[in-house]
Amino acid sequence: MGNSLSIENVSAGYGSVTVLSDVSVHAGDGETVVLLGTNGNGKTTLMRCITGQVVPSRGTIVAEIDGERHNLIGLSTEEIVDLGISLVPEGRRLFPRLTVEENLTLGAYRQSARERIAASMDFCFEVFPRLKERRTQLAGSMSGGEQQMLALARALMASPKILLIDEPSVGLAPILVARMIDKIAELKTALGLTVMMAEQNFEQAARIANRGYVLVHGQVAFAADSVDDLRNSDVVRRLYLGVG
Amino acid sequence: MTFSLDLFSNAIVSGILLGGFYCAIAVGITIVFGMLDIVNIAHPAFIMTGGFIAYFANTQFGIDPLAACAIAMIPAYYLGRLLYRFYNVAFEKRGEESLQGLAFFFGLLFIIEVALLLIFGVDYRFVEAPYIGPTIEIGFISIPWRLLIPLIVGLGLVLVIIAFLSRTFIGKAILAVSQDPLALRLVGGSPVKVKEVAFGLSIATAILAGALLIIIQPIEPSFGRDFIGRVFCITVLGGMTSLPGTIVASMILGVSESLTSTFLGPSWSPAIAFGLLLITLAVRPVGIFGR
Repeated sequence: MGNSLSIENVSAGYGSVTVLSDVSVHAGDGETVVLLGTNGNGKTTLMRCITGQVVPSRGTIVAEIDGERHNLIGLSTEEIVDLGISLVPEGRRLFPRLTVEENLTLGAYRQSARERIAASMDFCFEVFPRLKERRTQLAGSMSGGEQQMLALARALMASPKILLIDEPSVGLAPILVARMIDKIAELKTALGLTVMMAEQNFEQAARIANRGYVLVHGQVAFAADSVDDLRNSDVVRRLYLGVG
Repeated sequence: MTFSLDLFSNAIVSGILLGGFYCAIAVGITIVFGMLDIVNIAHPAFIMTGGFIAYFANTQFGIDPLAACAIAMIPAYYLGRLLYRFYNVAFEKRGEESLQGLAFFFGLLFIIEVALLLIFGVDYRFVEAPYIGPTIEIGFISIPWRLLIPLIVGLGLVLVIIAFLSRTFIGKAILAVSQDPLALRLVGGSPVKVKEVAFGLSIATAILAGALLIIIQPIEPSFGRDFIGRVFCITVLGGMTSLPGTIVASMILGVSESLTSTFLGPSWSPAIAFGLLLITLAVRPVGIFGR
């Protein structure tokens, strides 16, 4: 049974400002797909389109969950999450004055996830022992790295099939970025997730991605079938590797 | 008036007792105004409704006022949910909640008040219960049961709500929606449904507070307006979202009012709430327990 995500010819923006134009991006079952691009090129807007926070002016967004196709456009954010698509949002958006444990509990809002809340929480504590140590601490009082772990763990509490991650490396020290990327890969394998990740850090993202896209000025500047293609592309070399 | 330890201690004690009652009237506003940003100034009208439900049940059927309102809390909860649903569709969804929503609740306040006037008239109404009348005397301090019961019930109500919010899933969701509604949607929760539950809860607390009010003193329909300043003062002073803050602020207001009316005269005490509100906004706008 497949879990995939197809974004076809999507254009979107805020008011009269167009951010995305004619973007087509696809993540197949079990793939890890990376969206590359520096700030302000539309990665976050694309994530918002997929999760129903921004309604595209054109195009289609279709998710396949356990083999069943769902048209996501027109659904509310909570309905999309309920299908099994979780987003680790930009800025993490934790509940700052709730504890780690309470944040995780609320992560399992979906009816199907609420039934196995204890098991999911044990799993999260196993993957992130630090969160177990801090379970009674307020989320807002933790370090940036711990908050990012919590945001990832909270998204997993919903038992998603498709995981969207918006810039997991933002604000983290390089060593923490590497650890976070490792965790994402570990979780993806353990849970059989389909992952779409927006990231600026090319080298780190390239370690776990199967494929990738480069967004420039709201358009797909390059679509690569492999990480090597990405690495060798002119646009990536120019933007990230400082050559060309 | 001359100062005496006797008067002073009694003023402090009755202030604390009054503060317990204030907990009950303010807890609903802390939930809807403090946590959910809904300016429900009709809250006191629901308190009065509770008072008249207690009056009606007591005089017609001889039911204990607290028992009557405890039962009435259930339909009141569903009525509150319905009311929020209307408010959401008519104002919140369109982004017109700040001014038009305020006007809506203001209108509601008057409609309820007039309805109560038409049904029950302008006379002061009171209830009868075994705890109205007797007083506990400890040395020179006297504690009337009709004030002690509201203290116990008021504090108990806030403690139950604290437990509900921190222990239950929907309670945590109410706290979450007050902190970040978008984040709640991102975990799959609907802010509208969560706020609906919270609003229902708030109206239910107002009904119970009404029973406490009519136990404390006879009431007439327009009496509720006196509480608008008090409930908002308590919520702001307590730090908007903090329920322990609501308890502390209620006590501060109760004791201040009681001291003022003992030593300066009762006509000064209504000014206390607005005075405290202004001082809070000037000195510490986030309130005692605010962040």
